[in-house]
Amino acid sequence: MRSLSRIGAVTAKEFIHLLRDRRTLAVVLALPVLQMLLFAYAISFDVKNVATVVIDLDKTPASQAYVSSYESSDFFTVVGTGDDLAAVDGVFDHNQALIAVVVPSGFGRSLAAGEKGSVAVYLDGSEPTAARVGQAFSTALNQVYSQQVTIRWADAQGLDVTAAGQLEPRVRTWYNPEKRSSDYLIPGLMVVIIMVVAVQQTAVSLVREREQGTDEQLAISPMRRWEMMLGKVAPWTLLAFLELAVVTAVGMWFFDLPLRGSIGVLALGAALFVFCSLGLGLVISAVAPSLETANMLGLLLSILPAFILSGFAFPLSSIPGWLQVVSCLFPARFMVTITRGVFLKGAGLAELWPEIAALGAYAVVVIAVAIVLTRRRR
Amino acid sequence: MSGVDPVRPGPLLGTAPNPDAALSVRGLTKRFGSFTAVDGIDFDVPRGQIFGFLGPNGSGKTTTIRMLTGTSGANAGAALVLGEDVLSHPERVKKRFGYMSQKFALFEDLTVEENLRFYAGVYDLSAEEFAKQRAYVLAMADLRGRENELTANLSVGWRQRLALGTATIHQPELLFLDEPTGGVDPVARRHFWDLLYDLASRGVTLFVTTHYMDEASHCNQLAFIYRGGLIAEGRRTTFAAT
Ligand SMILES: Nc1ncnc2c1ncn2[C@@H]1O[C@H](COP(=O)(O)OP(=O)(O)O)[C@@H](O)[C@H]1O
Ligand SMILES: [Mg+2]
Repeated sequence: MRSLSRIGAVTAKEFIHLLRDRRTLAVVLALPVLQMLLFAYAISFDVKNVATVVIDLDKTPASQAYVSSYESSDFFTVVGTGDDLAAVDGVFDHNQALIAVVVPSGFGRSLAAGEKGSVAVYLDGSEPTAARVGQAFSTALNQVYSQQVTIRWADAQGLDVTAAGQLEPRVRTWYNPEKRSSDYLIPGLMVVIIMVVAVQQTAVSLVREREQGTDEQLAISPMRRWEMMLGKVAPWTLLAFLELAVVTAVGMWFFDLPLRGSIGVLALGAALFVFCSLGLGLVISAVAPSLETANMLGLLLSILPAFILSGFAFPLSSIPGWLQVVSCLFPARFMVTITRGVFLKGAGLAELWPEIAALGAYAVVVIAVAIVLTRRRR
Repeated sequence: MSGVDPVRPGPLLGTAPNPDAALSVRGLTKRFGSFTAVDGIDFDVPRGQIFGFLGPNGSGKTTTIRMLTGTSGANAGAALVLGEDVLSHPERVKKRFGYMSQKFALFEDLTVEENLRFYAGVYDLSAEEFAKQRAYVLAMADLRGRENELTANLSVGWRQRLALGTATIHQPELLFLDEPTGGVDPVARRHFWDLLYDLASRGVTLFVTTHYMDEASHCNQLAFIYRGGLIAEGRRTTFAAT
């Protein structure tokens, strides 16, 4: 009961600090979303809105339907149309488009005959990345289109192709090809954001109390060390969950991030991960001699491991062996596995229990270390 | 006011600590490596006294308070605080004493009210106790009507009084004050000592450190510490009326 009163007092106070400190509040609330939008757009930008010119030499309903599939795709932005092959040169020379799609005459006729229709896709080789990606997607689009043609043809013949099983899923996978990179990145980015905010804020908060002298005042009071830690950690846990929810919502709305797995496992993992991050922050604040050092250490020990040692930016299997060992010193790698597993693979406790267990053990150890280190300071 | 206690300079060395005293210290020693910050000091402070602990900067005053409040261990010696062995069981007395640090440990981004409420929560006051103590502190510190002002906007004198208020919100029997008048102007200092007399008149024992010799006149018992050792200790027979 008394513990509860003391923990509650600290938590209430921390919330007031946060509400009074507009800058930190703005950073904590707005930055993650901003960061995510910038990051995710920057990454998916090279596979989006590629300027495209469509030249339809066939001018049949079939060719028009094919051309409109470019217009309706997020990936291509049709910036012009033409009816002359010579237009392609001019388009590339003036950097109007990176891709020119030419539908030859006879396209509609061969489709109607049940033959493979062929289309020419011209790429501006001076923009190799966009061109290469463009080529890949053009090919994909062609497959989608040809399947739709097949379905239409099958429908006309009275066959049920979806029941045949193999066409529908392939159509779906290919239908949103441009979203795959953000699907992969957002669950990782979530982990980075939570880690940076949680580690940074707790790292700073104990050091600030020490510099104000309030730490000493509280050491003399009946408040116990763990009560203070818990009280400080509680608001940030709540906030981290809020951020997780916001990032998930933004991811699902703006980037069509699928949420295939168990929300319960995600929440459990997130709770443990937040405690790990906060514990790491407390360890930093126990060893940092000044506010600046705490800030620096907080950034260094949150951003670097979250980006490099988590599998977020590079697959863990591609980093050197000793770094893989180092990566186990930070909780991010386990959490990235959990978020990706839950969001993308539909994983639950059965698949993710080793990561959950690792986070649980990490949380206990790191908070114990933090308490021992702060005790030793006196 | 006048003191009636006779001078009692006698050494306490070797005697058992006195459990009836507010503070009873024997041979208390603190070393930092090879440096001895507090060197075997002995003193008794009977209840209700204003005990002045005088000494220049770096003589060991704060270190002594840390040991007496259970935040720092001692290397040797014994210390009874309100009859409890504070060196081995500080948690037994923590609710019964208060402490006002050199730095006025207030949260500057919290209002007067919020600071009071926080410390009330730390000492687990009931709603009624808090209402009563809040009214008392606001009146005492002359902060009525300024409850919602940010602590950062208070001038030093008010901040000092608010710090005293938060340090006494749980009605301690014994109050440690570590250089409470540092950086405060003479008028506010005088006002502050009036508040301390008021506390003493309610039976609170005060342990006040200072390096201002003139503040000795406010105390009815004094000890001088120099380089970690007590060089004089005793009670005043008379002291300046205020
Ligand atoms: N944690 C510590 N480590 C090493 N030396 C310390 C520590 N705390 C205090 N000291 C030293 O002990 C001496 C007494 O300090 P202190 O009790 O703060 O003096 P005062 O409060 O009388 O000004 C000083 O010389 C100070 O440098
Ligand atoms: Mg001092």
